[in-house]
Amino acid sequence: MAQNEEAAVLIPIQEKAGLGTSALDDFTPLVQSHQQRIYRVLLGMVRDPDAAETLTQECFLKAYQKRASFRGAASAGVWLLKIAVNLARDHRRSRLREFWHRLSSSFEHVAELEQRLPDPHASQERVLLGREAVATVWSAVEKLSPQQRAIFILRFVEEMSLEEIAEVTSLKVGTVKTHLFRAVRAIRQRLKGGGVRE
Amino acid sequence: MSKHLSEDQITEWLLGASDDFVSRHLEMCDACSAEAERLRNTISCFRDSIHATAQRDHIFWTNQQLAMGQRASARGWYSLRWAWVAAMAMVLIAALFLTRAPNPPQNTATEDADNALLQEVQGDLAREVPKALAPAVLIAEERNEILMNQVARPNEATLKKRRQMK
Repeated sequence: MAQNEEAAVLIPIQEKAGLGTSALDDFTPLVQSHQQRIYRVLLGMVRDPDAAETLTQECFLKAYQKRASFRGAASAGVWLLKIAVNLARDHRRSRLREFWHRLSSSFEHVAELEQRLPDPHASQERVLLGREAVATVWSAVEKLSPQQRAIFILRFVEEMSLEEIAEVTSLKVGTVKTHLFRAVRAIRQRLKGGGVRE
Repeated sequence: MSKHLSEDQITEWLLGASDDFVSRHLEMCDACSAEAERLRNTISCFRDSIHATAQRDHIFWTNQQLAMGQRASARGWYSLRWAWVAAMAMVLIAALFLTRAPNPPQNTATEDADNALLQEVQGDLAREVPKALAPAVLIAEERNEILMNQVARPNEATLKKRRQMK
């Protein structure tokens, strides 16, 4: 959905101040066009499909409730990503959640994520190497600060420009670049230290 | 090629911020090119694993939309319910204040009466003579006063008697 079209969708929704179902129905196209991306970013941030699913719902609910605050200066996509990144940050901050996350996700979800490789027809050795590398990147991404993780995911998973990332994270482009540089360096060190074979 | 690219130069290349020197070097140096490609492929694998996991069927997304709708409606009712609870609490508090408002003056009046009684008791205790004997004391005082006057100033009859005796 183009930026103008999104604004055209959101502004009439804002005008319907009540919690009527029509306002909710009007919001649905926005959800449909962005939910996959939001889910993907949250998945990368929290590394847990169940939590990402819940947070995706939370993100759109927050957006729906705060629709009056949408000024239209940025695209609705950037606005939604901003909410998603903040939600993921808050989710990770909770120590209790962190504990449960480690306990649960370290067994099923992480394994599931690491097993997923794009090319199922690749050779056995290549698949194993790929899995090992992906696992190493995941563990390196886990060690990054929430902000660096968000920036890394937005750049390399969503392939967003530095300017767009700066808009989402409310940082300067130079700061985004510095964070990204540090994140990549940390991952490279991890890849070297993790013994990913060449 | 004697000097290879530094890690930072390869990172810059990955971020798309490298200069012509790095690009030319990568074209000519197999080792650096392999290193850069390996890093790019690893990150690509990571990206693809997330994309593959996030690739859910139509039912998943539809269920999500339904769940969002339900939660949005539930939150509406939830906030409405809390508004009711808040309103009821306010009414209850107001009712409590209204029913308890006359009590403080009553308490003050009782306190005043208690103080007056205490003062009265203290006054009684401070008396030399009990309150019941106060009239008798007055009579005795008047009598004494009359007697004193008679001794000090004798009347005409007394004086006449004294003269006859002489």
